[in-house]
Amino acid sequence: MRSFSYASARDSAEAVRLAGRTPGAAFIAGGTDLLNLMKDGVQHHQHLIDVNKLDLARVTESASGLRIGGLARMRQVAEHHAVRARFPVLAEALLASASPQVRNMATMGGNLLQRTRCGYFRDTGSACNKRVPGSGCPALQGWNRGHAVLGGSESCIATHPSDLAVALTALDAAVHVLGPGGARRIPVGEFYRLPGDTPQVETSLRPAELITAVEVPRHPTARRSRYLKLRDRATFEFAVVSVAAALDLRGHFVRDIRLAFGGIATKPWRSAEAEAELRGKNLTVATVEQAGRVLVREAVPRQGNEFKVELVQRALAELLLDLGGLR
Amino acid sequence: MTGLVGRPVARVDGRVKVTGAARYPADDPVPGALHGFLVTSEVAKGEVTDIDTSAALAHPGVVAVLTHRDMPRLTVPPFPYLKGFIPMQDTAIHHVGQPVAIVVANTVEQAHEAAALVAVRYRAERPRVVIDDAAGPPHLPPPFRNRPNEIKRGDAAAALARAEVRVEARCSSATRHHNPIEPHATTAQWDGDRLTLHETAQGVNLTKGTIAAVFALPVENVRVVAPYLGGGFGAKGPLWSHTIINAAAARVLRRPIRLVLSRAQMYTMAGHRSEFRQHIRLGATRAGKLTAILDTTTAQLSNTDEAIFNASESARLLYDCPNVHVRQEGVRLDVATSSYMRSPETTAHFGLETALDELSWALDMDPVELRRRNHTEFNQETGQRFGSKHLLKCYDMASQAFGWSQRKRKPGATKDGDEYVGWGMATEMHTFGAMPSNASVTVGVDGKVVLRTATQDIGTGTYTIISQIVADAMGVPLDVIQAHIGDTALPVAGLSAASATIASVSGPVDRAARAARDAVVGLAVADERSPLFGVPADEVETRHGHLIHSRNHQRRDSYRAVVSRAGEPVEATGSGPNLPGLSYGVVFVEVRVHARLGSVRVTRVVTAHDIGRVMNRRTARGQVIGGVTWGIGHALMEHTVYDRNSGRVVNPNLSTYLVPVCADAPPALEALFVDEPDPGSTALGARGFGETPITGVPAAIGNAIYHATGRRVRDLPITQDKLL
Ligand SMILES: Cc1cc2nc3c(=O)[nH]c(=O)nc-3n(C[C@H](O)[C@H](O)[C@H](O)COP(=O)(O)OP(=O)(O)OC[C@H]3O[C@@H](n4cnc5c(N)ncnc54)[C@H](O)[C@@H]3O)c2cc1C
Ligand code: SF4
Repeated sequence: MRSFSYASARDSAEAVRLAGRTPGAAFIAGGTDLLNLMKDGVQHHQHLIDVNKLDLARVTESASGLRIGGLARMRQVAEHHAVRARFPVLAEALLASASPQVRNMATMGGNLLQRTRCGYFRDTGSACNKRVPGSGCPALQGWNRGHAVLGGSESCIATHPSDLAVALTALDAAVHVLGPGGARRIPVGEFYRLPGDTPQVETSLRPAELITAVEVPRHPTARRSRYLKLRDRATFEFAVVSVAAALDLRGHFVRDIRLAFGGIATKPWRSAEAEAELRGKNLTVATVEQAGRVLVREAVPRQGNEFKVELVQRALAELLLDLGGLR
Repeated sequence: MTGLVGRPVARVDGRVKVTGAARYPADDPVPGALHGFLVTSEVAKGEVTDIDTSAALAHPGVVAVLTHRDMPRLTVPPFPYLKGFIPMQDTAIHHVGQPVAIVVANTVEQAHEAAALVAVRYRAERPRVVIDDAAGPPHLPPPFRNRPNEIKRGDAAAALARAEVRVEARCSSATRHHNPIEPHATTAQWDGDRLTLHETAQGVNLTKGTIAAVFALPVENVRVVAPYLGGGFGAKGPLWSHTIINAAAARVLRRPIRLVLSRAQMYTMAGHRSEFRQHIRLGATRAGKLTAILDTTTAQLSNTDEAIFNASESARLLYDCPNVHVRQEGVRLDVATSSYMRSPETTAHFGLETALDELSWALDMDPVELRRRNHTEFNQETGQRFGSKHLLKCYDMASQAFGWSQRKRKPGATKDGDEYVGWGMATEMHTFGAMPSNASVTVGVDGKVVLRTATQDIGTGTYTIISQIVADAMGVPLDVIQAHIGDTALPVAGLSAASATIASVSGPVDRAARAARDAVVGLAVADERSPLFGVPADEVETRHGHLIHSRNHQRRDSYRAVVSRAGEPVEATGSGPNLPGLSYGVVFVEVRVHARLGSVRVTRVVTAHDIGRVMNRRTARGQVIGGVTWGIGHALMEHTVYDRNSGRVVNPNLSTYLVPVCADAPPALEALFVDEPDPGSTALGARGFGETPITGVPAAIGNAIYHATGRRVRDLPITQDKLL
């Protein structure tokens, strides 16, 4: 790790001001990802701005939905009664993430901005377009078991690792930010970018912008929502494949549905096409299987991750049939 | 007799460990110590063409940067140095992660930061790092430590051709790393030609001899200290090159230097379990009697050594079979040197116990019955009868406790909700070592008892068991005993590897304690001031720190009173021969496999082991829990990934190299022991055990998955995608 200077900001405006002033500065919240990246030499920051003192850790519920402060901890949100009762997919996704120790420290903002777990990205001895643009992507021909089958490019096929982001994608959430240019609201669907030929650019965040809150709208599907995460060990592991589903059902009739996926795509993956296969129809084994086929229609599997194409369809069926009481 | 040996005595070192008072090798304060950090090769094959150290040297706090240009010439030491070469002696690169420079600075952070500033240029060649990419066919390496890699008994090929029933299996297994939670650490302190090492070593004396050879020092000039160890699993048994480089740098700079490997460096610098292939064929009669075992294995070797650690021991020794042909081949690749890893036989044992399961299905015979029919009371190679072997009893105990008789004799026949339930079993076997050892016991004028022996506690409970032995032998309570271990200044003892600790030290510790007891009794009966004056020594009993006349319990003295009257401590020593041998057992497991998602859970495990006398039920059970969990990791998740193009390890960390977490451990585990003292034991009836309870677990899991689903997976680890 390289030496760096450190300052603790008292409020959001100061944090943004400090960040705008120092090139190469970064906010530090829980530090559970940032410090690993800095110790491993993957990222360097001359200046860290500690945002832990900011008054941004509250979770409030109103008629329009939830507002979760950008510094709320994963554990705090997962245990919040309104989240558990009315947005269960969010609580489940958080509880299926990391470990209790990490969840005690890690924040909403930090979680959304965590970097990929691609082994090449985190090894400074390897080439990687995301870390060193133009250096190449060894994952294309190399170890890609953990990599994406959707949304990839010839530059990068790394998955976004956040479970929270998948749940928020299914809930149509929005990210509130404050930057040198003022405050703005970014729908989560526009927050993450596909790698294209600039995999180093992961979000639509502008320099020195601070995540102040996440807004989760109330919606008829939110209450019947669930998260299914499959992984290579029982806990404390990122998703091989995950599914977030939110359903508005009348009997078996799907009035509305939202589906998002983790582990299979370069960003939290919403599939409007798969949703369309189910919306306005009865939930049956056949319609669910058809939605799965549509989901992976454009999949580009590689040698090590081909199984995900099959596994994600099975995971989707598992979750929907369970949620619809068909199993 | 207070009778502590055999009881589930809690760890005597538990408190100092959980309070942080225990000093591990990297915690020992060494005044004036500098900090080293290694710069390692980014490429797997080729040579260093240039190293620019100027930026690193200019970094604040940096004292020196040493490379092959300024390292002293060193002698490659003999076994147990496995690497075959010492890095930084020339420009050649043999594997990724090979040290190319050491940065020495005032703080760890400065050394770490400056290491990134050392600019190394390479001439790189395309490496070959996995067996599939080997340049040529596998070869038969020469014997390793006098053990040949090809062993034949009878005529296995002919017997196979004639066999009534044959099975054939090809198995494979990924590279694995030990991953002790404590990283390798070394601190070298020179005083002229005398060297002290604070070293994460599983054997202080072994390390002492090896490092002395590197620097051509008289052995007595070296002291190695390692009172506690945060796990080793074999990784800290041999001496590795970082210790040599650090000691050489400390000698050049005339300052003590501490070096701690990073987690990532541990994946290229301190051994691993090789990638492995196995082709196994069994021939048998219809009645289930084995007539032939042919076992050809291929291990990934480095380019600088040819030792094979994934030995096919069980194919040779476990079952009665007249015709055996074992061939342990290797392929040379551009990878780091492999080594012993708990337990080295596990990889090849998987093939044998999987093939036996396949044979049981082919014969439509219960797999336990098949193993009983091939049970032997004789060492298959020497023809000698085993003095004590209770494997059949293990089968009885564990199958009954498990409820094995209820097993359905059809794969895929049991479903519970969304999951298929399957049962599997495998025999376990491990050859343990034993090394000559010595101990001393001193009774102080305060009545305190100090035990000294240069053995190790690698987390397995040595401190506790040797204290129990002393307590029983002397008739003193545990809390007056203090054990000092892990320092070559203490009486020489064997290392903690090959499950040899208890087998090596129990006898000498017991003898030293008995001699100390006898010496104190002798003082008492000869001392007019003692109530025991004139009592024949053989009529004195010792209990709870007291010396008591066996015919008249009113006449009593105490260790403390006797020795304080004598005015000086009483010391006695013990030593003794030690015999290696075999430990046995069986493991039964229940797995649940999700019918549609393929995920596997191990839900129930019952083991039974024959390990001679059980010295401490709690620590023995601890070894079973650890072994079973380790076996679950081996079977279902652990694997090191090499990038085939660059030769780099792509998952050198505990976030992507997955070891089991608590939730992967079976919710129900029953560890049974026969607990019959072995009359041939030189260790109070005990045998070596630690590595035994992993050996059968991977095969038992694979066999249970087959029983659950009808699918046979022979390629480890069995990840979910293989069961879709
Ligand atoms: C062992 C391990 C296992 C894990 N497993 C999982 C898992 O299963 N699922 C999962 O989803 N995650 C997992 N994680 C990731 C974990 O959730 C993230 O590390 C964590 O959420 C990051 O939050 P933080 O507050 O610690 O962020 P930090 O590490 O402090 O910051 C991360 C990044 O976000 C930036 N940042 C932080 N806060 C803000 C803000 N308010 N505005 C703008 N930028 C900000 C920082 O500058 C930095 O770039 C795991 C992590 C570890 C270490
Ligand atoms: S997949 Fe992306 S992150 Fe991984 S090596 Fe390729 S470019 Fe880098």
